[in-house]
Amino acid sequence: MSAKDFLKKLSEAHGVSGYEHAIREMVIAEFKPYADEISVTPMGSVIALKRGAGPSMRSTLSRAEGLRTGKVLIEGHMDEIGLMVTEIEQGFLRFTQVGGFDVRVLPSQEVIVHGKQKLRGIIGARPPHVLTADEREKVIPMSDLWIDVGLPEARVRELVQVGDWITYARDVIDLKNNLVAGKSLDDRAAVVSVVEALKSLATMKHTWDVYAVANVQEEVGLKGAQTSAFRINPDVAIALDVSHAEQPNTPEIGTVPLGGGMGIAIGPNIHPLVYEKLTEVAKANEIAFKVLAEAGATGTDAWAMQVVREGIPTGLIDIPLRYMHTSVETISITDVERIGRLLALFCASLDDKFIKQLRGETEEATRKSAKETRKNAKKK
Amino acid sequence: MATAKKATHFPLLDNDDPQSSGMHPLKALTKRITEAYGPSGYEQGVRELIRDEIKGFADEVRVDALGNLIARKKGTGPTPRKKVMLAAHMDEIGVIVTHIDEKGFARFAPIGGVYPLTLFGQRCRFANGVVGVFGREIKDSTATEVTLNKLFIDVGATSKDDAPVGVGDPAGFWRDFSDLGNRIVSKAMDDRIGCVVLIEVLKQLKKSPHDVYFVFTVQEEVGLRGATTSAYGVQPDLAIAVDVTGTGDTPEANTMAVQLGKGPAIKVKDAGMLAHPAVKNLLAETAKEAKIPYQFEVLTGGTTDAMAMQTTREGVPAGCLSVPTRYVHTPSEMIDFNDLQNSIKLLVAVLGKQIKLD
Repeated sequence: MSAKDFLKKLSEAHGVSGYEHAIREMVIAEFKPYADEISVTPMGSVIALKRGAGPSMRSTLSRAEGLRTGKVLIEGHMDEIGLMVTEIEQGFLRFTQVGGFDVRVLPSQEVIVHGKQKLRGIIGARPPHVLTADEREKVIPMSDLWIDVGLPEARVRELVQVGDWITYARDVIDLKNNLVAGKSLDDRAAVVSVVEALKSLATMKHTWDVYAVANVQEEVGLKGAQTSAFRINPDVAIALDVSHAEQPNTPEIGTVPLGGGMGIAIGPNIHPLVYEKLTEVAKANEIAFKVLAEAGATGTDAWAMQVVREGIPTGLIDIPLRYMHTSVETISITDVERIGRLLALFCASLDDKFIKQLRGETEEATRKSAKETRKNAKKK
Repeated sequence: MATAKKATHFPLLDNDDPQSSGMHPLKALTKRITEAYGPSGYEQGVRELIRDEIKGFADEVRVDALGNLIARKKGTGPTPRKKVMLAAHMDEIGVIVTHIDEKGFARFAPIGGVYPLTLFGQRCRFANGVVGVFGREIKDSTATEVTLNKLFIDVGATSKDDAPVGVGDPAGFWRDFSDLGNRIVSKAMDDRIGCVVLIEVLKQLKKSPHDVYFVFTVQEEVGLRGATTSAYGVQPDLAIAVDVTGTGDTPEANTMAVQLGKGPAIKVKDAGMLAHPAVKNLLAETAKEAKIPYQFEVLTGGTTDAMAMQTTREGVPAGCLSVPTRYVHTPSEMIDFNDLQNSIKLLVAVLGKQIKLD
C-alpha cells in the first residue's frame, strides 16, 4: 500500500488510547510482508522483527571480541486522543477527555460513540444568542458541552454505558502539494514512516536486527513505549512523533517548514552519538532536516524509552504537522516518505563499531580485551 | 488483634469493644484496620495487624525491601498457572513535622494529597500516641482560603523543650470508626477498606485455578511506590488494584455517575490509567453471572496502584475495583456496607474461575 493510502486508512480508523485493537490489525497486516517475526505485548503494542545479517567479522573473532548483533528499535504510536462518556443526562452524554484534544475546537465536532453499536453524534453547546457578553468571549469549558446522538433517553441507556469511548468522525482530505488533513495523523503518520522504512530496508543490507514498533497509549503517559522497550531491550531506540510546522502567528524557532523535511531533536533526552549518526546519514544522503533543540522532557516516547532498564540511547525525529490535537491535523506525505527513507538508511548504517562507541570502548581497548580472551581460552 | 489494642492510645471502653458489642465481624475488622496508624512510609503497625489477621490462610507470606506484605495462595490448576496480583495500599495520607517554634507549635508538610480545608479543628496522632489539634492563623486569612502554611499543630506543649514531638515525626488523622448502619465512616478508608477486601477474599477463597498474590502495598499516596516494586517482583499476568473512588451523589457534586450503595465500581479510566478492556469486561461479566450489582467508573482526578502495575516490565493487563467513597482524603470517609460485601463477593467469584484475557 502506498504511504498515502495507508495513512488515510489509519487516520479514518478509530482507536483511542487503550482501545487500539482495530488499528493493531491494520498495522500487523502492513508489517507482515517485511517481518521475520511479529509479536504483540501484554499492553497491545505491535513489534515486528526484521533480522539483520549479524556482526560482519568472522564469527569466532566476533565472539572473542564480545560482539553480538545490535538491536535498533524504531517506533511511532498508534493511539489517538478522544473522549469518554462520564454520565448520561436526559439522553445527552457528558464526557471527559482521553489525552488532550484542543478544547477550543470541541463544539460542533462530529463524533462516533463506540457503544453497543456505533452511533453518530455531534458535540453541542448553548447557542451564542443566550450567552452573556462575557461568556461569549471565553472558551466553553468541557463541563458545559454534551454529545447529542438524537435518540430518546431510554434508547441511549440501552446502547451507551458510562466508560464508552468516543472518537472524531472525520475523513482525510487531500490538499494541494501532497498535503493531507485529517484526525489522528498524530501519530499514525509515524507508523506509516516506520512501514516505509521497512519497505526500504527490504532492498538494503543491514547487520543490526531492526524492531519496528507501533506503540499503544502514548497520549496517556508514554506507556506502550516504556513496556515495549523493556521487552526488546534495544541498543538504540528512535522515536518518531509530530512537532509543530511553520504557520502564521507561530514563531519560526522550534518549528519545521511543512513539506520541508523533518526535525531531528537534540538535548538531554537524546544520546549525542545517536543524534550525530542521524544527522550524518541525513547529510550524506542529502535529506533535508532542521535541528530542534529540546531543553528537557520531549513529551514523546523517547522520554520514556531513555530510562528503561539500564538506560537506552535514544533519538527523536519530528514530523512537521499543523493544527495539532484537532481533527484537521495537516501533514505532508513527502515528509512522511522521506523520514521512512532516512530511518532505513540510519538502520543500515549501524555497525559493530557503533555498539562499541555507545559502550564508550575505544578500538585499542577492544583489541586488548579480545587478546586477553583468546589467551584465557588457550590456557583452558 | 492484640497489636491493635496495644497501639491504640485511647483505651477502648467496654461498650466500644467491637467484639462485646456484637458488631458485625466485617465491621469490627474494618474498625481495627482503619483506626491503625500508618502514614506513607510508616506502615509497620498496619502490616503487623494484617499479617496477624491472615495467618494460616496463605501458602507463603513475605515482606519485600520496601515493606510490601505479599501473601501468595497457590492455585490448584495445571501449570503453568496464571499469576494474579491484587493490590491494596496500607498507607494513609498524613502530615510530617517540619519545624517546632519557641512556644511548642509544630509546622508541617503534607504526606500525600491533604486538603487544607479539611484540617482546621481536626486531630492527628503521632506514632507515639501523642494527639495534636490543627489550628490556623486567623489574623490575615479567612477559613475558606486557608493554606497549609497558615496551619499548625498544637500538641499541648508550652515550649519547644517540652514538645513531645520533633521535626520529622509523621502523623495520621485521628478519628474513630462510626457505624451508621448501612453506611460506615472512618479515617483512612482510603485504602484500608481495600486491605479489608483483600483479607476477606483471601479467607473466603476456597480454591483458585491461579496463583493469587495478595499484596498489601506501601507508599501509594506518595506515588504508587510500593506497587511499582512489588509488581516488578511478582511479575503478574493480571493485576487488579482495590481502592476507593469518589462519587457524584452528594449535593452539587461534580459530574460523576458513581453512587454509594449501587455496587462496587469497575474502573474504566482515571487520571492515571485506562483499565485494560479485557480486565474491565472480566469484572463486569463476572458480576453479571454472580448477580452482583456494579457500576462503571470514570474518574477525572487521582489514580491507583493499577497505574504502576500496568507498566511493570513489559506491561501487565491491569484494572481496578473501587469501593465508592464519599469525602475521600478527609478524616471522615464514608462507604456503603453492601458495596463492601459485594466487592468481596465479586473478587472471590473472579478468582475462583478460569480467566481468559482476550
